Amino acid sequence: MIQVRNLTKVFNVPKRGVVRAVDHVSFEVRAGEIFGLLGPNGAGKTTTLRILATVLQPTEGTAVLGGYDVVQQPEQVRRQIGFLSGDMGLYHRLTPREILTFFGKLNGFRGAELKQRLSDVLARLGIENIADVKVDKLSTGQRQRVAVARTLVQDPPILILDEPASGLDVPTARVIEEYILEARNAGKCIILSTHVMEEAEYLCDRIAVIHEGRITATGTMAELRAATGKERLREIFLCLLGLESLERKTSRAI
Amino acid sequence: MRFDSVSTIYRKEMLDSVRDHRTLLSMVVVPLIALPVLSLFVVKMVTVVERRAGAKAQTIAISGAERLPGLLNALAGAGLKFVPREDLEAAIESKEFAAGVEPVELPDGRKEVRIYADLTRQDSEMAAQRIRAALDQFKETNARIRLREMGVPDEVLTPFTVERVNVAQKKMAGFMWGSVLGYVVVFLMSSGGMYAAIDLTAGEKERRTLEILLSAPAGRSEIILAKILATTTAVFVTAFLTLASLAVSFVYIGRQVAQPMLKALSEGVPLDIGTLGLILLALLPTAVMIASIMVAVALFAKSYKEAVSYLTPVMIAAIFPLIAGLLPGTQLTPALALIPLFNVCQLMKEIFLGDYSRLSLVITLVSNTVYAAAAYYFAVRVFKSESVLFRT
Repeated sequence: MIQVRNLTKVFNVPKRGVVRAVDHVSFEVRAGEIFGLLGPNGAGKTTTLRILATVLQPTEGTAVLGGYDVVQQPEQVRRQIGFLSGDMGLYHRLTPREILTFFGKLNGFRGAELKQRLSDVLARLGIENIADVKVDKLSTGQRQRVAVARTLVQDPPILILDEPASGLDVPTARVIEEYILEARNAGKCIILSTHVMEEAEYLCDRIAVIHEGRITATGTMAELRAATGKERLREIFLCLLGLESLERKTSRAI
Repeated sequence: MRFDSVSTIYRKEMLDSVRDHRTLLSMVVVPLIALPVLSLFVVKMVTVVERRAGAKAQTIAISGAERLPGLLNALAGAGLKFVPREDLEAAIESKEFAAGVEPVELPDGRKEVRIYADLTRQDSEMAAQRIRAALDQFKETNARIRLREMGVPDEVLTPFTVERVNVAQKKMAGFMWGSVLGYVVVFLMSSGGMYAAIDLTAGEKERRTLEILLSAPAGRSEIILAKILATTTAVFVTAFLTLASLAVSFVYIGRQVAQPMLKALSEGVPLDIGTLGLILLALLPTAVMIASIMVAVALFAKSYKEAVSYLTPVMIAAIFPLIAGLLPGTQLTPALALIPLFNVCQLMKEIFLGDYSRLSLVITLVSNTVYAAAAYYFAVRVFKSESVLFRT
């Protein structure tokens, strides 16, 4: 469902000059698979996902989602994707029902069909009772459910999730994890970025470790263990980042 | 371009905007409540000050009244009260009296009546005018009595009467209205649209909703068109409400106050649908231009606060063509009709006067439509620029 080839993004940053945020990144994600982009802050995860979501244009390379090219057919790509980030991106002065109606309409749903979808999504996430309360009156957990509902209302085949559980408490993060696993079981193609090891290990079928814009390794947990000789994802991650010796020194010091 | 997407986004933007207190305040509350209240306050102040000045101007200081028999009767006949004082200058400077009068005998035997007044004070000027009128009347009455005694008919003293006729009586209100109102309306239009423009651009960036909107199935041209339409609505609604509320409050004020100038202003206000419709039509391209420029500039900002600091100099820059129009004698020539903001203000004045030229109207509308299109194109370019939308 997602094919990325030599994707590159160069920014001209004032006082820093030319910055290669993404540098010849390639990977594929299949339907019914959760693919994790694991990397430290500033590694290029968000930029990669923004290109896939057609928010940014690549400097080089191609990305095809559901058969559509992000540069040539951005609007068709947008109909294939649901984008969710830890920031949630909700309109605070609108109610959940108004937000879902807005995105439902943008996705081409109207009348009875839209009404039915809204009612299904609200019921599925248990937020019928807060459907007409303005978002700025909701708790963080309720807001995250609304953000998830936003992606469900259009029910796209591809989900792009940028640190979706970032900053959430454990029970709220659990809601997101359940949503991701359910989506995978429903045959969705999911790419998610994270820097939380447990989240990546628990959720992802395959993981790509990204560092300074480049992918240093891709594979299942078993494949990454075999490649690095490490057991825990944290050790694998540090090894792939070339920070293994630092961790050993720290461990010895402790 | 899919207009159902534009319509969906526009409705969302409007709903979001009208729930924003700052936008609502500048778009509705200021024109609808603050301006009429302010006008009423000014009128009340003017009325109170004039009444006080009038009351104070009733009583004057007088010195040496015995030198001119009949003077006291003449002053009393004009409704003035008088109190004897030796030092008239001191009496006026201490503000004990508004003005003073003193008959003096000149060395050649003629008599002179001196009026003492402080012309920087309204009450003093009013009192001095009353004294002058009373003295003129006194002088004329004396002359008539003497001429009658000499057997000369009254007509000799008054060979003709003078009556001033203002041929622009009806235009005065239109002139006063158009001169000031155009600038008030255009300035408030800018402030009415400012918060909507910021909220829909830098506000979206700050709240992190822009990224989600950009990844939704809507083209960037559709999104920016909807945002500019929403801002234009805010600008236009402000213009409409400002015109309507000022018109209503002026009429109300005219009925309430006795002040001749304000009364004349209110009676001559051209409030017919045709005039207001023509003004709104003239303002439409300007509203689109203002909205597009504000949206484009606010897009450069990363936060609400930053956008306010970017748009404030734009608002100040817009004041210059407005001030140029307030200079006396400025008229809307075909060449001047090419200057944005200035042209629409001048056109409003001419529409209020009822003698606008069709050529000026057409040039103003066409040139403002071209500016609006250029500003819109600029805003679209800015919105499609990654380096602006995701400025680090």
